[in-house]
Amino acid sequence: MSFRKKLLLLFAATVLICVAVISASVYSTIRHSFEQADRERANAVAAQFRLEFQRRGSEVGRKVDAAAASEITQRIALDMNRGAASPSDSVGEARILAGQQQLDFLELVDSRGVILSSAQWQAKFGYSEAAIAEAAGVSSGGVTPPPAVQAGAFLKREELPNGATLGLFAVRAARVGDQPLYVIGGERLDQGFLSTLEIPAGTRVLLYQNLDTKWNPNLLLDLNGPAAGGDKIAPLIAKVRDTLQESQSVIHWTSDAADAEVFHAIPLSGPIFAAASEANSTNAKQQLLGVLLVGSSRRPLIELQRQIISTALLVGGLGVIVAVLASLWFAARVTRPVVSLAEAAHRVAAGDLSAHVEVESSDELGELAASFNRMTADLSQQKERTLQAERVAAWRELARRLAHELKNPLFPLQVTVENLVRARQKSPEIFDEVFQEGTATLLAEITNLKNIIGRFSEFSRMPQPQRRPTQVNDVAHSVLRIFSAQFREQNRIAVRTELADALPEIPADPDLLQRALQNLVLNAIDAMPQGGELTIRTRGLRDYVEILVSDTGSGLTEEECSRLFTPYYTTKQHGTGLGLAIAQSVVSDHGGKISVESTKEKGTTFRIELPCEPQA
Amino acid sequence: MIASAETRPHYGGTLRVMMQSAPNTLDLASNPSPADYWDFARTLSLIGDTLVTLDAQGRPQPALAETWQRDAGARHWQFTIRRGVKFHDGSAASPAPIAQILGALHASWTVRATADSISIESDAAMPALLAELALTRNIIFKRNTNTNAPVGTGPFLVAGWQPGKLLKLAANEESWRGRPFVNAVEIEFGKSLRDQALAFELGKADVIEAAPQAPTGAPQRPPTSSSLSSSLPVELLALVFPANSRAQDPRLREALALSVDRQPIQSVLLKGAGEPAASLLPNWMTGYSALFSTSPNLPRARALLADASPPALTLSYDPRDPQAQLIAERIALNAREVGITVQVSLSGADDVRLVRAVLPSSDPVMALGEASRQLGLPQPPLLEKSLDDLYQAEHTLLEGYLVIPLFHLPVASVAGSRVQDWEPGPLGDWSEPGSSAGNALGDIWLADPRSGAASP
Repeated sequence: MSFRKKLLLLFAATVLICVAVISASVYSTIRHSFEQADRERANAVAAQFRLEFQRRGSEVGRKVDAAAASEITQRIALDMNRGAASPSDSVGEARILAGQQQLDFLELVDSRGVILSSAQWQAKFGYSEAAIAEAAGVSSGGVTPPPAVQAGAFLKREELPNGATLGLFAVRAARVGDQPLYVIGGERLDQGFLSTLEIPAGTRVLLYQNLDTKWNPNLLLDLNGPAAGGDKIAPLIAKVRDTLQESQSVIHWTSDAADAEVFHAIPLSGPIFAAASEANSTNAKQQLLGVLLVGSSRRPLIELQRQIISTALLVGGLGVIVAVLASLWFAARVTRPVVSLAEAAHRVAAGDLSAHVEVESSDELGELAASFNRMTADLSQQKERTLQAERVAAWRELARRLAHELKNPLFPLQVTVENLVRARQKSPEIFDEVFQEGTATLLAEITNLKNIIGRFSEFSRMPQPQRRPTQVNDVAHSVLRIFSAQFREQNRIAVRTELADALPEIPADPDLLQRALQNLVLNAIDAMPQGGELTIRTRGLRDYVEILVSDTGSGLTEEECSRLFTPYYTTKQHGTGLGLAIAQSVVSDHGGKISVESTKEKGTTFRIELPCEPQA
Repeated sequence: MIASAETRPHYGGTLRVMMQSAPNTLDLASNPSPADYWDFARTLSLIGDTLVTLDAQGRPQPALAETWQRDAGARHWQFTIRRGVKFHDGSAASPAPIAQILGALHASWTVRATADSISIESDAAMPALLAELALTRNIIFKRNTNTNAPVGTGPFLVAGWQPGKLLKLAANEESWRGRPFVNAVEIEFGKSLRDQALAFELGKADVIEAAPQAPTGAPQRPPTSSSLSSSLPVELLALVFPANSRAQDPRLREALALSVDRQPIQSVLLKGAGEPAASLLPNWMTGYSALFSTSPNLPRARALLADASPPALTLSYDPRDPQAQLIAERIALNAREVGITVQVSLSGADDVRLVRAVLPSSDPVMALGEASRQLGLPQPPLLEKSLDDLYQAEHTLLEGYLVIPLFHLPVASVAGSRVQDWEPGPLGDWSEPGSSAGNALGDIWLADPRSGAASP
């Protein structure tokens, strides 16, 4: 990763963290505030329902008052005090009274707590009504209703033919004589009751009728009857059942947080009516009969939060973009000299010693740039000097080789011409014979000179490789075929091949490659005048193909190895010093490498590495 | 005896009657519902006659047959047919058509006619043949070939018939009992007790049905200027467990029987009418019903269920019975006291049914057989009228508590103030002169015949 990117990331991360911290802080504060407001709203709604509950209780009380004051009730009470009450006549009266007062429940109970008439369960006549029977047991006169039911309305579990239900009840006494006739009336606490409540927008009310010892989802009611998804509310209700205290919980209906609701659970308790026989020893206690659940949707809160988050993300995003742009500018400004230095260093590494860095400041970076420029200038001068020295040395070597190569044929030429002159002068009779021999020698040496010049000319005219898919093993076989006759005739050199199977084809010029390999083989043959073993090996490596040509000759010294590929350098008496130079030139033109390993008296191995892919 | 002009019987007028049942045919065999039995019995007894009738003590009385005799084994009976009796179509009610009608009704009998009598023979002994012949199903009818209306020998003949709605009867001028005082009887069918009471109060009906009433002396409030008549208890209200009931455990059925407190139901819901019962036959018929205890025994019931968890039971009732629902709910309430959950329901598969069975005969053997048939109990073995045998038979039938008798109930009817000499028989019958202590419908007369819709 570049220095500029690091700087950029550092700046961006710093800005992001700052934005995130600020956004989180704002979000947390706002969320806390809204949740507080939401709780207060739920509490207000719950308080409103408590008032509504009390109002409904008062309303039930008024209806029961009216029922107690009705003509029917007064007549039954009068008959009862006269001892002329007829159960068969009064058994249906409670239903009539309930219909008149629009009450769901109404029972007429005598002073002993015996039901004379029941609207909700007509067949219940003659059974005890616990709410009154308890009082009858406590007070021998049987005229005082239990304290729990004297004032206002109270909740009571009411048994019905099809099961128990919950009701809001009130008790009133019709006093015509000594014995009061109690009227116990009430309204059903179910979905019908819920539907009459005034519900603020965004809220809803559920009622759990705690009529079962265990959690029963069918007892959770909304306006339309049994409420769906009761199992999610069950823990809240269980908490209220355990603690008998109000509780609050957030219910997540779906994965969307906006669908969640805050439920405020209000326990609805009613008196426990002990049997008359137990009333003396038991004070009236309260039992949990229902749980009113006021649900408030969190959608407005969540949507507001989402709006805030969206705004924060937008602002944060813009901030990040601005920060990135600023970081880009700043990083570019800071890193430009460093980048220039890096680019210049790359150029130097690639051999361009003319790379120059602009010195734009006088700080450490400016000093570094100036030092770099001085260093490249020094290097350039040193390279130039080295090149000149090498060029001079090469020319000297060339001159030496040329002198050496040309001197050898020139000496026979000189001797032959001198022989011809001497024969012309001293022995004209054999001049013709000498002339014939002399001209043959002259022609042979001239041919030799032309060959020497041709080889030099050939080296100077090395063609560029014409690449095509080439199998290196085929090239090796071709070379060996060329030398096969020579190997058979001399019979002193054993040839061994270790060519890899399934060697990949490489992009190469097979003719040039063959010439390079011929030079190596020829060099190996020359290195083993007493015979030996020539080994050609090929193998495929990951990115290149390797060719090894080994001999078991006398080997080379380290100094010889280092100069081996220098043109015109040779260790042989009659070599031109161009064979290995040509081989190196071919391999280099193919983007490969050639190297030599040699051990004195053991042999020499030339290693060619040719890339499988074309090199730029 | 000197009678004033107002109290002297006179002819004329139309008697307007209302009934709950709504038959589509005037055929008892097509309408087997016990709830409709008395409506049919009363209606058909106006049109036709049986060979014999039974009085309240179960003694046979002559009707179409004047005399009879039997052999020692009660397999061969000979009845002398009353002379001069005619069917409503004018044909003679001679032994031949009567034998043909009875033979068609009872395939197992061999019925032969002679000049003045018929003989009835069977491979099995028929000691209760007279009680059988006195049943409504053995009224001697022919059928009108056009209308299929019954053509009998009774005091009234069919003048018009709208199935399920209205039956118009005209006085039979040639009735062997003598012409009835009223000219016609119009019976409106399919009227609920409430509609009947309303029509009665508005003066649109002269005779209506009523819920069972308390016997004389008990507080009751009959309609003003009306005459309420209750019969002896001739119906049995009972709980019956069908074969597919979930109450397969006899202990559960016994616990339910022991949980029912009959007294409050009788005093409040039945308004004092009827008698709590634990036997199939009423006490007036056998005299031993006190041997079957009607008292609840909750501890015993709870003990029976101590090591069992009884299934919830569904109790069904006849919706046409106005008292049935409350009685069923009370039974459910009683059952809850001993830990049995009973759900009262009108429809669906039931485990126990609240049903009425008709006791159509004052003969206890015949009544027991008929009650057993209606309640799905096996027929008791042929019995003589030994009380011991009867008790044993009844005791055997009630073992296993597949039937829990609850009440023996009377049937009641109310006649308006213009209906004179209205006194149905103690079994609630309307037209069986001589069989009961009271007067038959044919003997009543209307104080203001012109107010009748069909007065001539």
